[in-house]
Amino acid sequence: MIDWQILGSVLSDAIGAAIAAIGFSVISNPPRRAIPYTALLAAIGHSIRFVLLQFTGLDLASASFIAAFSIGMLSLLAGSRIFCPATVLYIPALLPMIPGMYAYRTVFSLIKFLQSSGNDSEAIHYLLEIFKNGITTASVLFTLGVGATIPLFIFYKRAFTMTRAAKRSKK
Amino acid sequence: MKIPFSFVSALAFRYLCSSKKNGQYYNKVNNVHEELKAVSQFLTEYATCLMASGVHTSRIVRNTARIAESFGFEAHMTLFHKTIIMTLRSKDNSHVYSTVNTAKAGAINFEFNSELSALSWDAYDNHLSLDTLWEKFRAITSTPRLNDWVVWILVGFANASFCRLFNGDWIAVAAVFIATLVGFRIKQELGKRHINHYFVFTISAFFASLIASVTMWQQWGTTTDIAIGTSVLFLIPGVPLINGIIDIIEGHVLAGTARLINALLLIICIACGLAATLLMMGGKLL
Repeated sequence: MIDWQILGSVLSDAIGAAIAAIGFSVISNPPRRAIPYTALLAAIGHSIRFVLLQFTGLDLASASFIAAFSIGMLSLLAGSRIFCPATVLYIPALLPMIPGMYAYRTVFSLIKFLQSSGNDSEAIHYLLEIFKNGITTASVLFTLGVGATIPLFIFYKRAFTMTRAAKRSKK
Repeated sequence: MKIPFSFVSALAFRYLCSSKKNGQYYNKVNNVHEELKAVSQFLTEYATCLMASGVHTSRIVRNTARIAESFGFEAHMTLFHKTIIMTLRSKDNSHVYSTVNTAKAGAINFEFNSELSALSWDAYDNHLSLDTLWEKFRAITSTPRLNDWVVWILVGFANASFCRLFNGDWIAVAAVFIATLVGFRIKQELGKRHINHYFVFTISAFFASLIASVTMWQQWGTTTDIAIGTSVLFLIPGVPLINGIIDIIEGHVLAGTARLINALLLIICIACGLAATLLMMGGKLL
């Protein structure tokens, strides 16, 4: 039996990611034909991460890595269909996975740490918060970038001949 | 009778040049040199345009070398964050032309990235002439960007749905939507006036988070921290971050490090803008 609630939450997650990816991609003025593919990649990637986090107990960084890797692979496929470099597709598609709340909490606890003069136990608490959130932010950012880039090196030749228009009839 | 040496040598030179074989030789030297010059003018223009539109280093190098190859030349280049040093030489290595060009400032533009890459393959496959290349290059670089207001509203929706992804409630989503619209408009307006973009990032992060923090001191909703946290995320410099990683892995370590440091500074600016809001909210945060 399909669990409709789970399916619904995955679907709403995918739609949210797609809208976010469209918005973040138009900032960097992509070719119009790339926008739907970016949205699709972001939706697939983000829901992969969502499922991994919810049902397999994987940590955020590893789940992000797997999701980013799949986005990178799919961007190679999609890129050769529409003659776009892979980076054009996957950079905006990764952005909905940026660990924004961890980054926010890092800044927040940094300020609280600076203000907690004279109270050591409070200072230690916020120091721990800075490290916890800061390390999560940095490692997720790093795995996102590296994970999506690895397919580019595996299929090196394909990655840079994608914009070759030998078979493209007329733009 | 004394004949001045200069007169003799001038005569001899004229004789040598006018003999058919040598004349061709001098013409050929000039032609190759002129051609190298013309091609390298195009290539540096092309490469700096790619640099400004946010393309990772090895793609710039490959694209440029590919166009050079279609003319039968070799292009070798060094790319730094602000300058391009390029040497163009003929295949037999007897003619060399070097240029240094300063990178233009410009907004990230993925359309240039993909269309100019396609142009380089077009040149390689069809051996386009230099005039056609210039024509196509100008046609590509003069395509207008997406309408500012369309981008503006889409970014608003994007950041709002981002807030939803972090499980913010609908009040937080609405707050983030408005905060993003204000913050992004400030960024667009200041960006048009060519103000230092570290300053632009700090100011827009500050105003975006300030508006989102209204939910906190009015105590609207239960996820006010998510509202404040997501309101600044539209500023994240994703392109230099990822390009920096790609560059470093591909061995362009200096260029990649420069990009990463640039991205890091922008992130610090965002954090400063956010921190200013948090400090102003001081008492309420406890």
